[in-house]
Amino acid sequence: MSSISDEVAADFKDALQDLKVNSRPEISNLTLIAKENTEHAQAISTVLENHIRTARPEWRLPSLYVLDSIVKNIGTPYTVYLGRGLYKTFMEAYSKVDQPTRKAMEGLLRTWKQPVPESMDSRPVFPLEMTSDIENALNKMRSVQAQMQSQRQVHALPARPVIAAAWRNTPTPPQNGAQFVAPVDPRARQFPGQQFGQLPQPTPTPDQFSQPMGSVDLNELKEEVGKLIATTQQAFALNFSDPSLQQKLNALLQLKKMLDTQTLPPQQLEAVRNQIRALAPPPAPTPVQMPAFIPPPIVHTPQQPPTPTFQPPATAAPVNLAQMLANFQSPPAVMNPSPAPAPAAPNLADLIARMTTPQSSTPNPAPFYPSPFPGPSGSTPVPAHPIPASAPAPAATPVPAPPTNLAQLLASFNKPSAAAAAAPTPPPFNPALPPQIPNLSQLLAQAQPAGAAPPPPNNASWLLNALSGLPNAGTPSNPTPLGSEPMTRQSSAPVNVHNDVELTTASMKQPRPHLISRLYDAKPNICTTCGRRFDATSQGREKKARHMDWHFKMKDPDAAKRGVHRSWYFTEREWIEYREVDETAPEDTTNGPSGAAGRVKKQAKDRYVLVPQDVTLAHAPCPICQENFEPQWSKDANDFVWMDAVKVGGKIYHATCWEEYSKGAGIATPSTPDSVLGKRTAETGTPASGKKLRAF
Amino acid sequence: MIALPGLNLGAQAPEPLNVPTTSATRTQELSANTEYRFEVSFARSLAIKLVTGTAEYFGTELAPATTYNFSGAKGAVFTWHGCKLEIGGEAESEYVAEETQMMSAANAHFALEALRERAHQTRDAGPRVLVVGPENAGKTSLVKTLTAYAVKSGQQPMVVNLDPRQGMLSVPGSFTAAAFSSILDIEEGWGSSPISGPSPTPVKMPLVYHYGLRDAEEGTVFRPLVTRMALAVTSRLEEDPASKSAGFIIDTPGAVAQGRAGVYENIEHIISEFSVTTILVLGSERLYSDLSRKYSNSADAIAVVRLDKSGGCVDRSDAYMKALRHAQIRAYFFGNSEAGLAPHSQSAGFDELSIFRVKEGSDMQFNDGGDAYGGAAEDTIYERVTPSSEIVNKLLAITTAAPTDGHASIRDASVRGYLYVAEVDEGKKRVKLLAPQPGQVPSTAVVCGRWPEDVASLVG
Repeated sequence: MSSISDEVAADFKDALQDLKVNSRPEISNLTLIAKENTEHAQAISTVLENHIRTARPEWRLPSLYVLDSIVKNIGTPYTVYLGRGLYKTFMEAYSKVDQPTRKAMEGLLRTWKQPVPESMDSRPVFPLEMTSDIENALNKMRSVQAQMQSQRQVHALPARPVIAAAWRNTPTPPQNGAQFVAPVDPRARQFPGQQFGQLPQPTPTPDQFSQPMGSVDLNELKEEVGKLIATTQQAFALNFSDPSLQQKLNALLQLKKMLDTQTLPPQQLEAVRNQIRALAPPPAPTPVQMPAFIPPPIVHTPQQPPTPTFQPPATAAPVNLAQMLANFQSPPAVMNPSPAPAPAAPNLADLIARMTTPQSSTPNPAPFYPSPFPGPSGSTPVPAHPIPASAPAPAATPVPAPPTNLAQLLASFNKPSAAAAAAPTPPPFNPALPPQIPNLSQLLAQAQPAGAAPPPPNNASWLLNALSGLPNAGTPSNPTPLGSEPMTRQSSAPVNVHNDVELTTASMKQPRPHLISRLYDAKPNICTTCGRRFDATSQGREKKARHMDWHFKMKDPDAAKRGVHRSWYFTEREWIEYREVDETAPEDTTNGPSGAAGRVKKQAKDRYVLVPQDVTLAHAPCPICQENFEPQWSKDANDFVWMDAVKVGGKIYHATCWEEYSKGAGIATPSTPDSVLGKRTAETGTPASGKKLRAF
Repeated sequence: MIALPGLNLGAQAPEPLNVPTTSATRTQELSANTEYRFEVSFARSLAIKLVTGTAEYFGTELAPATTYNFSGAKGAVFTWHGCKLEIGGEAESEYVAEETQMMSAANAHFALEALRERAHQTRDAGPRVLVVGPENAGKTSLVKTLTAYAVKSGQQPMVVNLDPRQGMLSVPGSFTAAAFSSILDIEEGWGSSPISGPSPTPVKMPLVYHYGLRDAEEGTVFRPLVTRMALAVTSRLEEDPASKSAGFIIDTPGAVAQGRAGVYENIEHIISEFSVTTILVLGSERLYSDLSRKYSNSADAIAVVRLDKSGGCVDRSDAYMKALRHAQIRAYFFGNSEAGLAPHSQSAGFDELSIFRVKEGSDMQFNDGGDAYGGAAEDTIYERVTPSSEIVNKLLAITTAAPTDGHASIRDASVRGYLYVAEVDEGKKRVKLLAPQPGQVPSTAVVCGRWPEDVASLVG
């Protein structure tokens, strides 16, 4: 296997080395090779990456086009393999090539942030997480270059560019002057501290450069907001009855409007961006992205007068943004959502699925849902509060009710924070009020007169809470608080999830994570022996009890001694007439009338013995009526049996014959159900258990 | 024990699973929507236990805290929600894949589920699905996943296996159909046909026909058997409401997907005999385009849907397939590690057996014969053979047909079970047979196939 891989890789390498100009046929040929050898994707990806890193600078662009063509035309598994080293590959090449090539590379990068043209899959070519890492690095590179060219300081706060400039003049630059030869992968790197070279190393703290990056950020931010809106719209399209999604969408649309129409201070942009990042689904686990569906956009202008549902008093959680930013600059690694996307922002897809089914009784998914979900929300009837309770740093939270959704966050941005500390529990977010999210326009209107900040009670943990709480926006803002919902609705909800999957090739590729709950959460009661699931209803419990009985019966220690063997297959006729028996179905009660006489009859008829192994016995007829026995399959015994049979003194009789005979002779009828049957039985008395008890 | 050259199975087979695993167990975390793919040789065993989260193996959910042992398997444990696995033993290869085709499989399931619901309401027939695609495209895995999901959703889907290269609930070389109302056996693939004792997973009831050839293209038996199978399955569906609304899924051999110049005679035959309503094409774009051109626009519109081949599909070498087949044959007589079976050795005189064998080269004669039921063709399907060293190590299918019946009846007869020819003593004119259970030598016609290949030393 690996030798084949090596061979394929070597061939691919040879072909790559011949690629020196941007030639379409050669590139498509290489793509074809890659496509035909997806099983060797890893080897091919490695070769390609190495080639891009090591080839002469002028040959790198064609190789990058190969990479581009492969990921766009083939996709997985190449996106995975190439995505891992994408940052390194791209930045190494970028640092070596000339300006026009860089422009071309930036063009490539832009297309990677978008879905493949004409593809059904609306996910970007590479997850945004990867491309944005590169983009951040490029932005910094540009800003530093700009600074070096103009030789002036744009802002005084971070002194590092000065140092960079100083190093530029030293004859021997420090060790890491080796620029991007071995850049640190953004996901693995440490905070670089003072170790800045002439070109800034990629750092996870774009905040430090907020000033020079301001304009770039805004565009990027708008784009991100746009994407998030699209995602939310799709989710909304799938689940249009969910008011929380609608509200979220609303809030996002307004945010976009605000970004488009107003100039916000960079710190606020920063905060908004962090928020958006946290909200955006991490790209790796299939995000919910469907072909565009445009719901009627509900746009409120920020100037619109407030809809007077209720007036959030100015006592709501106040924020001093400057202070906040200052605070969270100290532990930047923690604050930036991108290095640890999984815990910070749980998959939106999951979220949607979760929203319809809170964890209720799924066995133990807790470790995989690091987001502070309030668990089975029955215990926390106030939806606005569970989040801080389980947030990462609850102890440090000075404000008992941190904003739990985007609207609140936005509101708190600019809110005159005068009376802030006075009101720890702001009444406007009282969960008893049906509309959880105050009209955003209202909030934004309020937000405008951003006052001077008095000593704020906030610190970094506030934002942390907000960040972690935000993805939950849907849950707490549900107009009917989940906490007060009866369990029944939760268990039945997933079944009602609209199943609109059409049988078309395109439809098969759309991720529909919300449907998966039908396979899991809809039946929360799992058999720990075999994994079969049951409803959470009383019916389901009965079934499970019978199912467990069946398991118990099957644990027969004597089975091996009896010499188990393969049974003959059914004949055609038997098979056609056979009906599958479910071990969880109640015992068949349709046989015979339920009258007393019928019951006796039925009892006798229900007796059976296993078809004897002994050849003479197996061919012997009933000694009383001289008729032969008919073997039948019994699910109770899990074997072929003779029904209506009883073994007395080494001979097998028809049970009914024996009963008639014994009644006259006054002999007790022995118990017949075989050793296969155990003692354990379902609590609910089934006819079967009754039968066993009456056997004597 | 099966002796397989190069696989060293003979030495390992007796109790491979009772040997304590020397390597320590390790923990494997899987994030949501990823799968742990592994390959285990027949000589080794891999133990997988679900510690937290949820996980499934081709659609069948792993029970929490139950250890599953895999041997001679190439499989994947997928998780929708993320999970933690405890893994012990050695795998030939193992890795975690982030890109899987499970979403497509789930979508296919939900699409079929919608059809089943509709069928249930209208008391109509449910979706009748045909899965086609080249070798090693993941057809059986898809069928298994769809079946498992359907069972999980409370349906009772019928599965029809027309791939002689690997058996379903029976030995390779057989065609089977079975309704699945109970959970699939994770370790055994599908489960077990009835045995005379308790079984840890509910047994499945297959209807078995003997094919006995390697490829669908060989001989004249394939299409008549498909017709017969379709008849039986349709009859069952008509009488069994639970099966009717759930419909069926047909697994096919990769060979039928090759076709000649865009014409797929065998696929077309299956479609018309089973009244297929949905075709799932795995991988092959060409097959998809050929079939959708032919069927999508026809009057009784058949949905033709293409699904991507999973990145986890690996080519299974001939040696592996052979070992897999031998393991299936062995399991038929001896059971699996959990439930050992006791087959019965017996000897029979030459005159007690009526052995028929598919005539060599009969395919040449009737390739274009159109109607396989033609009177002339019937008498020449089989030839009666006297036991000789040629049939040693072969499987004999015990049919329900009398030796005096016409060849077509023998061909169309379902199978009660299989015998294994351990020894032929031409001097004493006696055959030593291995039968699944004690009893007399069957007096019905037994058919000796050219497929599966000889299984050396199953006895002794």
